[in-house]
Amino acid sequence: MTNFKAVGSRLLQLALVLWAVVTILFLMFRLMPGNPMAAYIDPTFTLEQQQQLMAQFGLDKPLWQQYLIYLGNLLQGELGQSFRYREPVGERIWTLLPNTLVLTFSSLIIAYAFGILAGAYLAWRRGSFIEQAAIPAVLTTRAMPEFWLGMVLLAIFSFSLGWFPAGGTRAPGAEYSGFLDLYTSRDFLSHLILPAATLAIYSQGLPLLLMRSNMLDVMKEDFVTMARIKGLSNWTVVVRHAARNALLPVMTSFAIAVGYQLQGNVVVESVFSWPGLGRELVNAVAASDYPLAQGAFLMIALVVILMNLLADLLYAVLDPRVSHA
Amino acid sequence: MTEPLLSVRDLRVSYQVGRSFVHAVDGASFDIPKGSITGLVGESGCGKTTVARALTRVIADNAAITGGEILFEGRDLAKLPEREMNALRWRDIAFVPQSAMNSLDPVYTVEYQLGEVLRRRGGMDRRQARKRSEELFEMVGIDANRLNDYPHQFSGGMRQRVAIALALALNPKLIIADEPVTALDVIVQRQILDQLKELQVRLGLSVILVTHDISVVAYICDRTVVMYAGKVAESGTMQAALTAPSHPYTMGLRNAFPDLQGAASGVLTPIEGAPPNLANPPAGCRFKPRCPFALDVCGSEPPVVDVAPDHPVLCHRARESAALRIEAAKTETWMARA
Amino acid sequence: MPEIAAPAIIKPRRPNILARMFRTLRLPVNDPFAVAGLLIYLVFIATAVFADQITTHDPTEILYTPSYDLAADLRPGQDGFIMGTTSLGRDIFSQLVYGSRSALLIGVTAAFMVALIGSIIGLVAGYFGRLVDAVLMRLADIAFGIPFLPFVIVLAAFLQPSIWNVVIAMALVLWRDTARVIRSQVLTLRTRGYVEAARVAGSSDFKIIVRHIAPNILPLSFLYGSIAIGWAILTEASISFLGFGDPDSISWGYMLQDAFASQALAKQAYYWFVPPGICIILVVSAGFFITRGYENILFPKLNR
Ligand SMILES: Nc1ncnc2c1ncn2[C@@H]1O[C@H](COP(=O)(O)OP(=O)(O)O)[C@@H](O)[C@H]1O
Ligand code: SF4
Ligand SMILES: [Mg+2]
Repeated sequence: MTNFKAVGSRLLQLALVLWAVVTILFLMFRLMPGNPMAAYIDPTFTLEQQQQLMAQFGLDKPLWQQYLIYLGNLLQGELGQSFRYREPVGERIWTLLPNTLVLTFSSLIIAYAFGILAGAYLAWRRGSFIEQAAIPAVLTTRAMPEFWLGMVLLAIFSFSLGWFPAGGTRAPGAEYSGFLDLYTSRDFLSHLILPAATLAIYSQGLPLLLMRSNMLDVMKEDFVTMARIKGLSNWTVVVRHAARNALLPVMTSFAIAVGYQLQGNVVVESVFSWPGLGRELVNAVAASDYPLAQGAFLMIALVVILMNLLADLLYAVLDPRVSHA
Repeated sequence: MTEPLLSVRDLRVSYQVGRSFVHAVDGASFDIPKGSITGLVGESGCGKTTVARALTRVIADNAAITGGEILFEGRDLAKLPEREMNALRWRDIAFVPQSAMNSLDPVYTVEYQLGEVLRRRGGMDRRQARKRSEELFEMVGIDANRLNDYPHQFSGGMRQRVAIALALALNPKLIIADEPVTALDVIVQRQILDQLKELQVRLGLSVILVTHDISVVAYICDRTVVMYAGKVAESGTMQAALTAPSHPYTMGLRNAFPDLQGAASGVLTPIEGAPPNLANPPAGCRFKPRCPFALDVCGSEPPVVDVAPDHPVLCHRARESAALRIEAAKTETWMARA
Repeated sequence: MPEIAAPAIIKPRRPNILARMFRTLRLPVNDPFAVAGLLIYLVFIATAVFADQITTHDPTEILYTPSYDLAADLRPGQDGFIMGTTSLGRDIFSQLVYGSRSALLIGVTAAFMVALIGSIIGLVAGYFGRLVDAVLMRLADIAFGIPFLPFVIVLAAFLQPSIWNVVIAMALVLWRDTARVIRSQVLTLRTRGYVEAARVAGSSDFKIIVRHIAPNILPLSFLYGSIAIGWAILTEASISFLGFGDPDSISWGYMLQDAFASQALAKQAYYWFVPPGICIILVVSAGFFITRGYENILFPKLNR
């Protein structure tokens, strides 16, 4: 009962946030200096085409009606037409989203696997020299501009050593029959490694520091002491009890990190010419392709918001104190 | 008396706090005979938990056993190599903590936690462990279909029973229960103590029951060890210690608690003041600042006096105890100090 | 221990703000990294202040070698350019020094705005509770739903290119983290005896906030402000790198964009693009070290 209520109110909150972000976006693209019409109408279209689009998006109507039409279009998934590509924004986004997700998830999974292990290790070795040196080093990785790290890796591993290609997702001229075909190719992997490494090096600090401090807290708990009094092996105590409990908040942070990472992608995708949502957003804004910029922004926001929700749900599922209330 | 199961000799345990040391247990000696319940009693901060944990040798990071012997079946646990000590944990010496809530891992079911001990420490397979778990739940009076529940799904009293079931899992020779009922209300306290007593008798267990509440000791214990400020003030059988307490501190404790049966034994008279800070204990008898019978001689270290066989008392005036008992029964005696 | 509250006796105490702030910040003089962080800050601030004296050239001037060739892509030390020159013939060392100015300017103003707005919103939400709290916290939820960097990009594209875009965007979005933390701090403060006592004694809300609550949350605001300095510098760098920065101001992010666009990577001109990155890392991590900006501060959403 209370569970249903909690989920219900959380969904309501989600709807509110979504609506608010959509509205902010509407206002940003209509009320900003410059010709608001430009947000939807490609100036190179013929007058007839322009008028047709004006009607479709209701740009000849008062603002509040435009707003309603805008909401209605969004609800139907109608994001307009990209100026540059002359194709529906929705389609463009759907082709780019997988690239972004592959990059995001591959880098985050590496970052989390490493961060969790290293964080648990540092907690275990608390007070040792290696811990004293590692913590500032990790903080330093959090202080790096991601794109700069990407540049350094590119300069070394691509331009100097020639181990990896400098950008994109595939060798020039290579053709693939679909996403799966592309993503499982060696070619793709060699393109993925540098950008994924860049994002992973930046991201590992969060799970690492979080895991470490949680471990330190959990190690002080009575049930860990009891596990020792039970004569359980050190491994069982540290891994099955301490680490298992410390892992809970780290796992939920994964979802939030996906949201953060998506923003970091904007710059890293640009460095590596990675055809993803972030780079598209930058290019669209720079080229005044407003429908595409708006669509890409919305998509990123949608993922951020959904991931915030997922974090809460994940917590509820993973923690028996919540799931078995 | 036959050979005791456990014999603690001049045990010393210290905590390091910054550059100084808290001598939380400062030369404690007592025996635990086989098949008895011994109450380890004293106010909060007297070093009871420190003793209890020292017996398992799982002590705080800043703690160290600095001296003495813990003789258990002929072996000195204080000096046993860690491997051998660990082999003996839970199989021979089990522990019931004060708060089962914090002592059970919140992310595993109770069955998992029983099974963990039964399989990893008891060498059972999955089926045997399941069977034994059901048996244990029956022993402590919980329905076996609750085995799959998580700790937070039990009430406080039930969790404490789960903790007892866990302690019984491998048929240990000694169970140390540190304030096992302190957090519970009186009715539940009595139920759980009754159960503990019944199991102890039935299984022939030896139990050390740590408590600050002397009425709990009076209710189920056969013997008692009274601790004050890191030292053993008095120890002996229930009879000796409670009907004829010979240390002024024990006399004071008697007056300070109602008994569990609820029989009103007159006015309750607390002992004024609090146990000393063990980082800097008073010289001589540590009870002196609070003792209504203190003399000048009490400024020097008191001797251990055997007022009767198997009844040592740490007090300069132990031989006058019969007379002091009469004084101690009067409320004014304890008021005068304040 | 009898817990007898005697509100009438408790005098509303006025804590010494500075003492409290320093105690909370626990400026750890015996932590070598914190000391290093402070030193970095000192050097950073001094460089920004004395940039005119330190630099050898005008950072935007196109320079020539003594033999009247364009001083483009010179290596460090060549023709007296300490750290070499850019492809357009500008002095890298001077750009680096001037970059500290915009970093300091953006960092401090953005941090100030974020801490100020976040603290006020958190304070008001926590103190007045109920509807005010509900509305403000929903606003925070909304702010958490806005992808920050894309937001800055769009804003920067619509407004005139200026370093202030970053400051505005941060103020509009990043107050959320500070506000949440301050709010929960205020909630615990409200339950303290002396706030209740002051209320019973009839003090006005304004007086209670100024006297009893604000001094207690100031250290926390300060802490979050310090962390925001780092975020601001990183954000400005990203925005400039993507080409939405102020073309007239030399910043480390601008230098990196210039290097990237001028093929510095292919030219292996490490002397060009490594130093600005190092400067950013030094200043941002100095902030982390000083404020002991460990995981909680780096990731406030988990800190609710
Ligand atoms: N980890 C610790 N560090 C320092 N002092 C401690 C620690 N644990 C207990 N003490 C001190 O040791 C003394 C005895 O504590 P404890 O054994 O818990 O007493 P009891 O169980 O009788 O209440 C107390 O003075 C307590 O403050
Ligand atoms: S030695 Fe003296 S002070 Fe201590 S308990 Fe005995 S009579 Fe009291
Ligand atoms: Mg205790």
